[in-house]
Amino acid sequence: MRRSGPFRLAGAAVHRAVVLLFAAFAVFPFYWMVVTAFKQNSDLYVGAMNTAHNPFIFNQAPTLDHVKYLFTETPYPTWLFNTLSVGLIVVAVTLALAVPAGYSLARLSGRWGERLGIGVFLTYLVPSTLLFIPFSRLISILGLQNTTWALVLVYPTFTVPFCTWLLMGFFKSLPAEIEESAMVDGCSRLGATVRVILPLSVPGLLTAVIFSLTLVFQEFVYSLTFISSVEKMTVSVGVPVALIRGDVYYWGSLMAACLVTSVPLAVVYNLFLDRFIGGITGGAVKG
Amino acid sequence: MDDAKTKGRISRRDLLKAAGVGVLAAGIGPAVVIPGRARAANKTLKIVQWSHFVPSYDKWFDPWAKSWGASRGVDVVVDHVSIGDVVPRATAEVAAQAGHDVHMFLGLASAFEEHVIDLSDAVRTIEKKHGPQLGLAKRSTYNPFTRKQFALSDMWVADPGDYLKSVWTEIGMPGGPSTWEDLVKAAPEIKKKHPEMQIPIGIGLSQELDSNMAARGMLWCFGGSIQDKEGNVVLNSPETLHALEYAKRLFSAGMTRAVLSWTPASNNQALNARETAYILNSISAYRSAQDNKLPVADDIFFTPALKGPTGIQLASEHVMSGYVVWKFSKNQDLAKEFLVALVDASRDSALASKLYNLPSFYGAAADPGVPAAKRPKAGSDWVAGQCKSDPFGSKPADKLTVLAAADQWSTNIGYPGFANPAEGEIFDTFVVTDMFAKAATGALSPKEALAEADTRAKQIFNKWRKKGFVGGGSKDR
Amino acid sequence: MNMKRDRFLGAVLLLPALAFIALLVGAPFLMALVLAVTTSSAGSLDVTFVGLQNFRDVFGSPVFRTALRNTLVFTLASQAAVILLGNVLAVALKKAFRGRSFVRFLILMPWAAPIALSTLGWLWIFDSTFSAINWILKVSGYFGPGEWYYWLGDTALGMIAVVTVHVWRMLPFTTVIILAGLTSIPEEVHEAADIDGAGFFSKLFHVTIPMMLPILFVAVLFGTVFTFTDMSVVYLLTRGGPYNSTHVLASLAFQEGVLGGDVGRGAAIALFLLPLLVVMAVLMLRRSRRAEVL
Repeated sequence: MRRSGPFRLAGAAVHRAVVLLFAAFAVFPFYWMVVTAFKQNSDLYVGAMNTAHNPFIFNQAPTLDHVKYLFTETPYPTWLFNTLSVGLIVVAVTLALAVPAGYSLARLSGRWGERLGIGVFLTYLVPSTLLFIPFSRLISILGLQNTTWALVLVYPTFTVPFCTWLLMGFFKSLPAEIEESAMVDGCSRLGATVRVILPLSVPGLLTAVIFSLTLVFQEFVYSLTFISSVEKMTVSVGVPVALIRGDVYYWGSLMAACLVTSVPLAVVYNLFLDRFIGGITGGAVKG
Repeated sequence: MDDAKTKGRISRRDLLKAAGVGVLAAGIGPAVVIPGRARAANKTLKIVQWSHFVPSYDKWFDPWAKSWGASRGVDVVVDHVSIGDVVPRATAEVAAQAGHDVHMFLGLASAFEEHVIDLSDAVRTIEKKHGPQLGLAKRSTYNPFTRKQFALSDMWVADPGDYLKSVWTEIGMPGGPSTWEDLVKAAPEIKKKHPEMQIPIGIGLSQELDSNMAARGMLWCFGGSIQDKEGNVVLNSPETLHALEYAKRLFSAGMTRAVLSWTPASNNQALNARETAYILNSISAYRSAQDNKLPVADDIFFTPALKGPTGIQLASEHVMSGYVVWKFSKNQDLAKEFLVALVDASRDSALASKLYNLPSFYGAAADPGVPAAKRPKAGSDWVAGQCKSDPFGSKPADKLTVLAAADQWSTNIGYPGFANPAEGEIFDTFVVTDMFAKAATGALSPKEALAEADTRAKQIFNKWRKKGFVGGGSKDR
Repeated sequence: MNMKRDRFLGAVLLLPALAFIALLVGAPFLMALVLAVTTSSAGSLDVTFVGLQNFRDVFGSPVFRTALRNTLVFTLASQAAVILLGNVLAVALKKAFRGRSFVRFLILMPWAAPIALSTLGWLWIFDSTFSAINWILKVSGYFGPGEWYYWLGDTALGMIAVVTVHVWRMLPFTTVIILAGLTSIPEEVHEAADIDGAGFFSKLFHVTIPMMLPILFVAVLFGTVFTFTDMSVVYLLTRGGPYNSTHVLASLAFQEGVLGGDVGRGAAIALFLLPLLVVMAVLMLRRSRRAEVL
């Protein structure tokens, strides 16, 4: 770096400003949620034209009522559990289907593989509005109505194409010589894959896992229509059902629910971020 | 060569193992579910209910339904959905041809007519016990063209005006507005006295329930309507145009674009924050102010429907329950019995909802023992008595008196005709609200807005006529 | 022999995924295609064939044309913003600084929040009466007397709100992808450029951007596909209002097909842009594949 002192200082200041600005943009709604979750209602419902009433601070003593309501009057912990368990099973199914398929497309299918890979990805483009009606029928034929298994069946329709394609790219980025040398040492193709390639693929697998989880946690349309019992709902559906009562929104409890769901998840994502980044680039850009 | 073969076999076995994982994962689902299904084969009555606006209602309904089932050796399952999800859930169940036995609609169930059973016999049973149902309940649940009682209504909710008495007293109208014209007159006065108030008059023009009701009220009071009694589309009329021109005046006199963004909760919140002085809503805004111990509660008072220029005084019902029993249900008789029992419990239901629900069969709210012929009057008197002396802490206690005669100025979606699937689709896709919103804000001229809505309304009616669910057409205007 | 066995193994490994996709996406998709040319209503599958009537009706509807335009605006605006901001943010985050881990955590939060709930937070932020943004604008003196933003009650502001929320939610994801791309450029490349005496901009245009191009393609592709097919922000924030002027195709398809019960019409709306999307995706996939990143 051949920059002189003042330039570097200015650069550092700009850098800090940029980082702060982005952090503020990302966090603003969450800050707002925190304030709302702990505000008394009479502090909350004050119009914004009232400049004397700062909505960003507690003008009256904060209250735990809304959080208490969320945990005692709604089955919120159950919804969390459901969301998490659907997420994990979907991840398992997705990996079971997408890892072999991704590997096959990368290594074993020749020119065909590339076209098929694109074809697989394209299925991700089909809008969910179109699949909504056929899925309902399918789920009832299988007797999965109002079970979380319906979601386990349906969610892989968007995680599998995506992850297959992602993993295909990742496997391609690993040099083929790795398996070949293992196979020379007497391993079968599959043995070589399992023993040598999979351990190297952890970042790629992790990426697929996080992508699948995110997609599952974000989804609400299918969940809304295929699950009807309150105790089987996922967070995205259960919370609005219990806390938006026609023309009354329980703002405090709604915001609390969003916070309690997001924060731990963000912590987990952050923990794995570096490996995740490794997974996206496949650990290698060919020079 | 031998070597290669062995290797091949091993690799194939490995492979089967790997494939097995996938199959297993996919296979676990059904395997685990089957026991659940077997249990469900015992008599279970499954009901979809909305999450009631007044939470105490759910606390009454769920155990009540369960204990009703227990007395018959039936398992009753009640599942709640939020108001916006009632229709998507129904769509999914029809597509699946499975799900619940009973589905509760708010507003119109008519779009699902071909998928539900006729409930005339249940209605007859109830009428024999309690006397006739309200006209507007009948017109919301019966299709005269197909002669089918496609739904059964146990309750409805009135849509009075809610106003801040202190504000209206300051401008010399302590009783609140009584005509639509009063709103236009009052708006500038309110602005003068309360410049801090964002939306002096808060009539929603958004894509939501309350606005849908308000727009219809305006349309009818000016003499317009979507259809006539026979189901001809008559939206394109000087009366509709008149209503749209009025909406434009009202908007510029006392409203802001805020009303175009409203959710069903917004008018409540605005009133409770004293950001508006008049809204059209059920009493839920008021009840939530009470529940939240907001001081504004004591300042909220009610008016009946407003009058139009020729004296027509009509408001749409705010909610009209419409219970349907699906054709695919295997417990249809049980479902009917349940609905009859629900109507029988009208009095408890009204109280559990803090007088939000009014009975569709007033007779069902009468004291036990009153003979059938006298029940409607007796029930209506009981309801009036409750409204005149609110048991839920109103100050003054007679604040809800307006509701006692609400059936006089309330009517159904589809007025002056009956509800039908075309009216339902127009309602659900916001054709009329959008027409009013466009005209009021000047996005389109009233004429253009009317023309656009008229085209769409006719498309929808024609589609349903072709399917044989809607009559009329020969006198479309 | 070996080749043959590999082919066989390849087919077997691929089969479960392909079968799953064919059964659960392919078959329902074909069924949806059929629905688009029928008068299917409210989920029933007994249908009358109407040819291209649904497409004709839909195309004649002003609401549809608005939604079509909005979809393009929504996608282009939010993608442009996300790619631009994502690059800036990724560069900022690549540098080591104190508290980086915490900042990264904060920036990842929008990604972790379920959209159905976080949009409710935004709904409250954009509320016409209680908007915190308006309060700031008012207090800071930006609003003169009588001035006010009705965020979700105005077509233009409504679209801005929708795009803002979508950018907010997509930004972490895109940033992470771009960050991955930046990280993958070997340090030696930069050093070599430095030795050659390349300035900041020359380095940017001759080294960083060309090397980043493949991964940018990926980011744009993901983002575009995701944005195009997404109805959640519009559906949760404006529900298409005011007067159906902020709909995108996906949310309009849901309103007409599922809420309004006209399944054929809904399917026609949802299908409308699919061909365009497919062509675009294929082109981009080929492009990014050639670069062999991902």
